[in-house]
Amino acid sequence: MRKKIYILVSLMMLAALLMTACGPKTEEPIEEVEETGIDCMGAEEGDEITMLYQWSGAEEENLNQILQPFVEACGVTISAESTRDQALLDTRVQAGTPPDIAFWNVTQLQQYKDQLFTMPELGVVEENYPDFWTTLGSVDGEWLGLPVKADPKSLVWYSPANFDEAGYAVPETWDALESLVEQMVADGQVPWSLGFESADATGWTGTDFIQDILLVTQGPDFVRGIIDGSVPYNDPAVAEAWEIYGKWATSEEYTVGGADGTVSTGFNDAILLVFSDPAEAMMVKQSGFAGGTIRETYPDLEYGTGYAFFGVPGVQGLQGGSDWMMAFSDKPAVKALIAYLSGEVGGQKWAEVGFDLTPNEAGRGMYLNDELQDKGEILYGAEDYVPDIGDSIPGGFGSAEFTGVTDYVNGSRELTDILDTLAGIQAEALGE
Amino acid sequence: MAKPKASAVMKQGKLTPWLYLLPALIVMTFFIVYPMINTIALSFQNKDGTASAATTCKEGEPCWGIFENYRYALTEELDTTSFTSFWNTFWQSSYGNTIQWILIMVSGTVILGLLIALLVDRVSYEPLAKSLIFMPMAISFVGAGVIWKFMYNFNAGRTQIGLLNAIISGLGGDPVAFISNTDINTFMLIVVGIWMWTGFCMTILSSALKSVPEELLEAARIDGANEFQIFFRIMLPIIMPTVVVVITTMVINVLKLFDIVYVMTGGNFETEVIATRMYTEMYKNYQTGRGTAIAVILIIAIFPFIIMNIRRFMAQEAQR
Repeated sequence: MRKKIYILVSLMMLAALLMTACGPKTEEPIEEVEETGIDCMGAEEGDEITMLYQWSGAEEENLNQILQPFVEACGVTISAESTRDQALLDTRVQAGTPPDIAFWNVTQLQQYKDQLFTMPELGVVEENYPDFWTTLGSVDGEWLGLPVKADPKSLVWYSPANFDEAGYAVPETWDALESLVEQMVADGQVPWSLGFESADATGWTGTDFIQDILLVTQGPDFVRGIIDGSVPYNDPAVAEAWEIYGKWATSEEYTVGGADGTVSTGFNDAILLVFSDPAEAMMVKQSGFAGGTIRETYPDLEYGTGYAFFGVPGVQGLQGGSDWMMAFSDKPAVKALIAYLSGEVGGQKWAEVGFDLTPNEAGRGMYLNDELQDKGEILYGAEDYVPDIGDSIPGGFGSAEFTGVTDYVNGSRELTDILDTLAGIQAEALGE
Repeated sequence: MAKPKASAVMKQGKLTPWLYLLPALIVMTFFIVYPMINTIALSFQNKDGTASAATTCKEGEPCWGIFENYRYALTEELDTTSFTSFWNTFWQSSYGNTIQWILIMVSGTVILGLLIALLVDRVSYEPLAKSLIFMPMAISFVGAGVIWKFMYNFNAGRTQIGLLNAIISGLGGDPVAFISNTDINTFMLIVVGIWMWTGFCMTILSSALKSVPEELLEAARIDGANEFQIFFRIMLPIIMPTVVVVITTMVINVLKLFDIVYVMTGGNFETEVIATRMYTEMYKNYQTGRGTAIAVILIIAIFPFIIMNIRRFMAQEAQR
């Protein structure tokens, strides 16, 4: 009896399955593709792209939003993994099972140069990228990575309200900035908030500032020279930049709390000192994230009136971080993704989502908030873009640089001694 | 017939202890012996363990050949041009700082611990007082470092949120940059160490004090000894073995000390100790050879104290 019922039930289920299988197929999204302007490069429905990146949480959500039109148009599946551990990527690449796409730092282009496909052979839309981006992403003359996200550091944050009240104008040149600083001191104001305490990375805000000064006084080629080792770190021009910075960072007239204040004020607190009431300083030099810090503590401040920024005046190239997309595969879906992100639609979408800035010039003017829009103007108007010296030199140069600037401001070592030590580490790191 | 049986027992007796020891020996080999041998081997090699340390020598600079990493570890922080410069740089170096830590922290924790143990012995709220003193031990080093970073906070702005500086400026004084002022910062960090470890010393010394026979003290009092004499002539000699163990344990603790310095200054402002310097060379500068050389020096420095402690334990075992 029971057996019969089972047979009956299974027959019915089989029939039901067959019926659904024979049902009308879902519509092909071909027409939609033309509307969206996304070229799928022959990628087929159900193709898979494997990805590895460092983003998680809100950042990962941003990326998903940016990729969504592409995923919908081409029907590819993206299987992504998020990790902060570069060793994972290293292991996969060495084992011969890399992801199709990795989003990582510019130094990985050099590291994986033998495994990567070049951007032109993957069909990148070149005209959306100025030369300095392709140069930065090239190894031995081959363009290997697509810059997808940029975070310029050469920014000075200030309170427009306080500037108006005191009658100060945003400086257009380095000389104007220097005289503005002197003007502020003469008016009894403290111009800078240079605090750079950051646990065991104390000093990084200082080295960022020094690199910006070098970009003003010497330019991007000089900074790249330091990174590749052709300019030793104890070059007199470097010493000069340290002294310009040191004059401000060690004096109570120029920065909150003088040398003690610089070494012991946390970098986040240093940002806030400019926007407290009453303000303790007029300006703070800090990367793009400062806007978020300000909004979090002072939600009432509006961008443009309560807080704003200007690019470090006179820099001959921006300093900043950037994220790069590199491809270990040249299958159609990967080509389609690169075409999408480097093209009009992807660039605009990146800007609309507002995941920092996209170096893709199609994003220009497409940001939905003023702060990113203005930051974008600084990025798209830049003559050049150089990465952080400390991040780019392998080994312990970065942390030695932090310690160096901390010792310098605290007065525990002579500048020449510090720079000689750093030049030694630089030579050792790049010599081998 | 009885003879072979006895020898079988003997045979078994030789092997069995090793079988019992085997799991411990395997674990020890994997986690202590092998890493230690590897550390020593790496300390004679270059930064990534690919060539001998002698290859890292530079022309025109002093070189100790295969001991090059040890030259770096021992002399790099020192300025040996004159005796004064050597003396000054020594006390700023990780070795000088570690010695300061040992001298001040060990004496501080042991003396304070003993004093508190003695005093609370005479009051009715002893358990409460002891738990208060012991409480910092329950906090992790990192937590304590963060707490005291706030205590010492120096605010460049107008308001002081650090407790000590709030008090100082409240009384009309100028705020002090406790952490970055190189004259006092190592001492200020040692205070944190003392705050954490006094409870440990107090607990052990207190139990030792309680084991001093009451009759002895009674007898001494009847004979007319005052409390100071009782302490120095009777109690202290009796608890001396425990005091020595506490001292050696504390010295080992302090030699290994890392967290407080790492959290509060990151080794900046001339507060580096041997363990933080080892970390910096190893994980921030990626200099495996130099890092391991410092580790070996640290092992050698700790060794005598470990031997002292083990001898002590053995002597106690023998007494039983």
